[in-house]
Amino acid sequence: MPQLNPEFFVSQLFWLAVFFTFLFVFLWRVSLPRIATVLEKRQNKIDENLSSAKELQEQAMEIEKKINDQINRAKLETDEKIKETINGLQEDVSSQLSSLDKDLEKKVSDAEKEILKSKDDQMKNINNEIVNITKLTVGKITDIELSDNELNKVIETQKGSFN
Amino acid sequence: MAAKDSPLKQFEIDPISNIEVGGYNISFTNSSFAMLITVLVITLFLTLTVNTRSIIPSRMQLISELMYNFIAQLLSDTVGDNGKRYFPFVFSLFMFVLIGNMVGMIPYQFTFTSHIIVTFALAAVVFIGVTILGFINHGIKFFTFFYIPGVPFYMHPLLIPIEVISYLSRPISLSVRLFANMLAGHTLLKVFAGFVVSMPFFTGVFPLAFIVALTGLEILIAFLQAYVFAILTCLYINDAYHLH
Repeated sequence: MPQLNPEFFVSQLFWLAVFFTFLFVFLWRVSLPRIATVLEKRQNKIDENLSSAKELQEQAMEIEKKINDQINRAKLETDEKIKETINGLQEDVSSQLSSLDKDLEKKVSDAEKEILKSKDDQMKNINNEIVNITKLTVGKITDIELSDNELNKVIETQKGSFN
Repeated sequence: MAAKDSPLKQFEIDPISNIEVGGYNISFTNSSFAMLITVLVITLFLTLTVNTRSIIPSRMQLISELMYNFIAQLLSDTVGDNGKRYFPFVFSLFMFVLIGNMVGMIPYQFTFTSHIIVTFALAAVVFIGVTILGFINHGIKFFTFFYIPGVPFYMHPLLIPIEVISYLSRPISLSVRLFANMLAGHTLLKVFAGFVVSMPFFTGVFPLAFIVALTGLEILIAFLQAYVFAILTCLYINDAYHLH
């Protein structure tokens, strides 16, 4: 078995020591710090990006909050304005309605008064006509001249039976 | 045993250039060459892929980062915050064993992790380092590591020697595990490769198919053994901090 032949033991150990020491020192001083720097740089970059992303998110949330606040405020304002307008309109309408009602009532009562007046006038006219016709008729038939007062009295007494 | 087509011939060490210093033979061999290739692959890959240091990594850079994070995670899981100081060492160990195993998977390429002297040297560095670390952290109290609390007192004469032996056998188990896995895998591949040649007609395709499957398994084992080597190192470091 060549492994147990001590002829090259010293040579093996010597070159192992040389190469392994070189490898160890080289990796320790050159290669590993390089990789470590890269990894650190990347981690820093990731951390930086994460923190800036967080910041931006916070800012976005703040802006969103502001927007929501403004929307809410605007809604409240518009609601109030709509209410005010509706109230104003209602007041207007009711006042106009009442004034119209008054006008109408006045016109109706005026008309009623006029009607009554004209009715009275007509009644008077009718009375006069009745008196005249009665006077004439009685005069023609009987030659009795009746005075207006007497006739009026008779008519007044008869009126009750007409009505 | 060292016949020309022995499955163990692949583990023989051939000097590329003979060097002798102070009576010691430190020839540059095929094993040393494999180590050189391994170290070059690791250093060049980890340096060139991360050269641009881009925040959005290329695929190759991502591989380097994944390896870095893999071992960093392993250390922080097993040792915790104390483990960061040993990261370069554990990472070097993991990469050296991993790429050493992988380089060995290239046909005709020597596998230096299949030599017990190499794996034992690596395990001994871990063992000695961890022991020194234990004494630095706990001083003489480190010996309480062998004392298991909550056990009846008459059991201690039995348990303490067992604990000491198991502690002392750590470098052996650590090194033999890697060495034996590599040895067995490569021997098996070679044995089946021999079947491909020696079987009559086209029946050689069956062992060939087996070799293909075994190669996949060996690549898995190459990674697994490097991982086991690294995680056991982490556990030993953890023991040096937290005794029991």
